[in-house]
Amino acid sequence: MTSTLHRTKKVLSIQSHVIHGYVGNKAATFPLQYRGWDVDVLNTVQFSNHPGYAHFTGFKCSTEELVEIVEKGLIGALGIKYDAVLTGYFPNVQALQKMAGIVGQMCDEDENVQWVLDPVLGDNGRLYVDEKCVAVYRDILQSSKIFLATPNQFEMELLVGMPVRTLEDTKRAFELFHERYPRVTRVVVTSLELSEFSNDNVYVVAGFDSSLGDEVFFYKIPKINATFSGSGDLITAMLTDSLLNDHGRTQQPLSTSLGQALWLVTSILQKTYDLNVANQGPHDSAISIKDLKLIQSRDILKQDPVPSMGKPDTINI
Amino acid sequence: MPRLLATQSHVVHGYVGNKAATFPLQCLGWDVDCCNSVQFSNHTGYGLDKVFGTITNETDLKELLSGLFDNFPQDYQALLSGYLPNKNSVRCMGRFCAKFKEKNPEIIWLMDPVMGDEGQLYVSEDVIPEYRKLALSPKQLVDIITPNQFELEILYGEEIKTKDHLKKALEILHNTIPVIIVTSCDSKMFDDQDYIYCVASMKNKTPIVYRVPFIDSYFTGVGDLFSALLLDRVYKILSNPITTLKFEDQVNNVLNVIQKVLNLTRSYTSGKINAKMGSALEMKEMELRIVESRDIYETINVNENDYIYTRL
Repeated sequence: MTSTLHRTKKVLSIQSHVIHGYVGNKAATFPLQYRGWDVDVLNTVQFSNHPGYAHFTGFKCSTEELVEIVEKGLIGALGIKYDAVLTGYFPNVQALQKMAGIVGQMCDEDENVQWVLDPVLGDNGRLYVDEKCVAVYRDILQSSKIFLATPNQFEMELLVGMPVRTLEDTKRAFELFHERYPRVTRVVVTSLELSEFSNDNVYVVAGFDSSLGDEVFFYKIPKINATFSGSGDLITAMLTDSLLNDHGRTQQPLSTSLGQALWLVTSILQKTYDLNVANQGPHDSAISIKDLKLIQSRDILKQDPVPSMGKPDTINI
Repeated sequence: MPRLLATQSHVVHGYVGNKAATFPLQCLGWDVDCCNSVQFSNHTGYGLDKVFGTITNETDLKELLSGLFDNFPQDYQALLSGYLPNKNSVRCMGRFCAKFKEKNPEIIWLMDPVMGDEGQLYVSEDVIPEYRKLALSPKQLVDIITPNQFELEILYGEEIKTKDHLKKALEILHNTIPVIIVTSCDSKMFDDQDYIYCVASMKNKTPIVYRVPFIDSYFTGVGDLFSALLLDRVYKILSNPITTLKFEDQVNNVLNVIQKVLNLTRSYTSGKINAKMGSALEMKEMELRIVESRDIYETINVNENDYIYTRL
């Protein structure tokens, strides 16, 4: 038996924590663990629930606490070798700056550590962090070696400084992104509403892998008549898994990994929707679903190998 | 779908407290809401100078729990409480668990009164009266407790040296607590000292003594995993008046699962088993393999080994 044991992949996930519900670390941890990852969970805040509810309580962790846990604890005293570090929501500019510095250094010192960065700034045209974080994220993306960045449409717009509303924009945005941030190897925009498809009831998830040439690829995903809190956090986590959890396989291209991650996420969203509608009954306008049904999606998360969404479309830049 | 609120410690690296309890319960279908009483880099077995992080202060803990109570007063089917760092956090947890219980009398609350082991307290002494108040409350707040023998003695108020004395202590504590599982009893009370003894007792029934092969209690977090699994298995009985599940089988099942997790963990760590407590670099290889054991927790009806030894 001993000979067949593979080394468990380790990820350090630095994100928010909510007690009730599934966003940030609560959205990432269980799916990654269920898919075999040893997840070190560093919480940047602890809230009763996410702000999508009218009322929430809780606190932000101090920058000193976060720095000390990683620098003195995980790296200093324990010397843990991570395969990946995943960063998400930080409660303030200082925490973002300091922690990005530490993670950047970890990746520089050990090329086996891959940084997956979700530049959490806002969504649907609205910032939900301090405005100064935009410039800080630009600096981080410029100066650090990043394995994968996963902005949403709004965040991509902020990072490249142009609106992204059409396929042509998308192409240009990826070009610009790569020019500005050449040390970011892969970028996936997790939710794009593009005018070309406005009548097709689909949204677009697009990716670019600079190590594989200059092709932008995208998947058209049928919309579900609902909005889901935590779905972006789940995509980033599942992409991390499909890119890096290479049980005996060589690393597969980003487009293949994204196809698998999207299969998992869309299956989970559909299940979440079905379970909610079963409770609430039919509806016309889009419903807002606050909690992903991650625990009820164990059969989906268990899939191995993970099915794919099929072949993506491509645009050359 | 059952949902539970777990209030105990959080470590970034490794598997104790909420990190040991959450994943197994999630694998069993529970939505686990984790309220973290501390955030530490790792558990204290690494050496006290190697632990970084902070205790959630009383005001923050109170805010969090009241936020949950206000938003989700009727969402929980079960409550789990484990290690809490001080008197104030135990009192605060106790107050809110009692509020949830009053609002939803059918909630099942498992309290692990974490105070110490083998004669050594590892919390401050002023925690003791807080746990005693909760355990001995005439309102019968707590449904299940999972003390070790030392903690049982603290709750009971006397040292326990014989099987008869143990039986008496359980009877008295059953006045306020329906289910008591003593996770490790002093083996001197029994004939063969090469085993670990565990006693499971339901009010008005004969307590059952289990014995499992002695595995050095090297791995930290086993007690937290034990409590989490017991809550799942005993909940299935207490929440369903017409269940055909038997208490003694459910506890036996948990012991089987624990043995399997320990065996799997050992297969990963063989050769390193002699790592010294306090040697951080080696200790990190000694964590329970909670994630690798994913498919073990669900083995609901598998009782490979019958660990029942005798009855009191």
